[in-house]
Amino acid sequence: MMCAWEAFMNLLPIWMRENVNSKGKETLQNLRLRVGQPPILVTSDKQISLSKTVTAEDLQFCINIASRYSPWSATTVTHGYITAQGGHRLGICGEAATLDGAISCIRVPTSICLRVARDFPGIAGKIKDLDGSILIIGKPGCGKTTLLRDVIRQKSNAGRENISVVDEREELFPRYNKSMCFPIGINTDVISGCSKAYGIDLMLRSMGPDIIAVDEITAHEDCTALLHVGWCGVKLLATAHASSRYDLLNRPVYRPIVESGLFDYLVVLHQDKSWCIERMNI
Amino acid sequence: MTLKLLGGIFIIFGCGGIGFVKAASHRREARILAEFISAIAYMQCEMQYRITPLPDLCAQTALQCTGVLRYTFSALADELNNQISPDVECCMLSALEVTRNLPKLTYVAMRSLGRALGNFGLEGQLKELDVIYIESKQTLTAFTKNQEVKLRSYQTLGICAGAVLVILFI
Repeated sequence: MMCAWEAFMNLLPIWMRENVNSKGKETLQNLRLRVGQPPILVTSDKQISLSKTVTAEDLQFCINIASRYSPWSATTVTHGYITAQGGHRLGICGEAATLDGAISCIRVPTSICLRVARDFPGIAGKIKDLDGSILIIGKPGCGKTTLLRDVIRQKSNAGRENISVVDEREELFPRYNKSMCFPIGINTDVISGCSKAYGIDLMLRSMGPDIIAVDEITAHEDCTALLHVGWCGVKLLATAHASSRYDLLNRPVYRPIVESGLFDYLVVLHQDKSWCIERMNI
Repeated sequence: MTLKLLGGIFIIFGCGGIGFVKAASHRREARILAEFISAIAYMQCEMQYRITPLPDLCAQTALQCTGVLRYTFSALADELNNQISPDVECCMLSALEVTRNLPKLTYVAMRSLGRALGNFGLEGQLKELDVIYIESKQTLTAFTKNQEVKLRSYQTLGICAGAVLVILFI
């Protein structure tokens, strides 16, 4: 297991670091900070509450560190999250300020959910040998991104295909101190920070990929971009929020890509981290 | 007599030296403030074009500067990378503590920069930098107004003060 734990520790207010380090270094999944409440460490099997309560200054500290004191470069804050160094995601909640109907910033943050990014090399198993486009689905927090990362890496290291990764949120292959936190594979090119639609188009035109990989298809634009690139001789690897094939078909946003037959295989991830492979032909 | 003559020369040179040092320090202050203004312009361009995060921006700006200003920006970048201080202003204060021989005007401008950075979106941040840029330019213009005349006066005053002292003592 790999994790940029030092980067995660740096995100926390100084008074909290030692406690979190001793209680959650190996197993921490989420850390929830709410103003006036004690910090809650969520591990794979239990919740641990610390004694001291969280203040508004503590939350501001976390946000400042996650954005590297640069609100202008953390534009995703308007979507309610910041990807910090090391790939750890900081979900922000509070009083939003809106401009022209869109959120311009979170004026008063009241709670934060810090998700620890971890990497488990070698979990892809036989998925790496599947030949065709693969869609990985599962509930939030069941390991879609982690599995996709390993599939990308192993397919890349097999050396037969070039993989272009559009890493919009910089969660698949995050950086820490200007280097990649997790191994990316020998045939992998990564573009991060831009939208999936733009990134997919750019990769297709400029990098000559055999496979294009994207994480978390959530919007119509993402599906449209995938459909646009489909049947161009490029295979796809993607993840989506759905717990089963039934869910996938019932979500209007995903229906076009399911009905089009764009993906050959469906990998369904379960909460206990097990998975099964299904053919997509319906 | 020789001793008196030597003493007189020593006093004149000593007082004249003070005038020259004062003039040199004035020139240094103006030069560093001008360099600070260029650094702000660089930061604006870099921020607008590449949306660079602050620690990297400060490290890059340090490379554009020389002497004490380079040292200050570099210390600020280190402080930001340490991720211990709650905001940019605190980081700037720590950096200024490390760099002690920054001239007064540039020190004040750096304090303003520390207060302005890290608070806004890109547009607001660029506006804030623009305000600091304009203010610093005005300060520099006022500071260097009649500079040559002023500096010559310092030097002349130093020598004259020395001469007066020599006449009084000898």
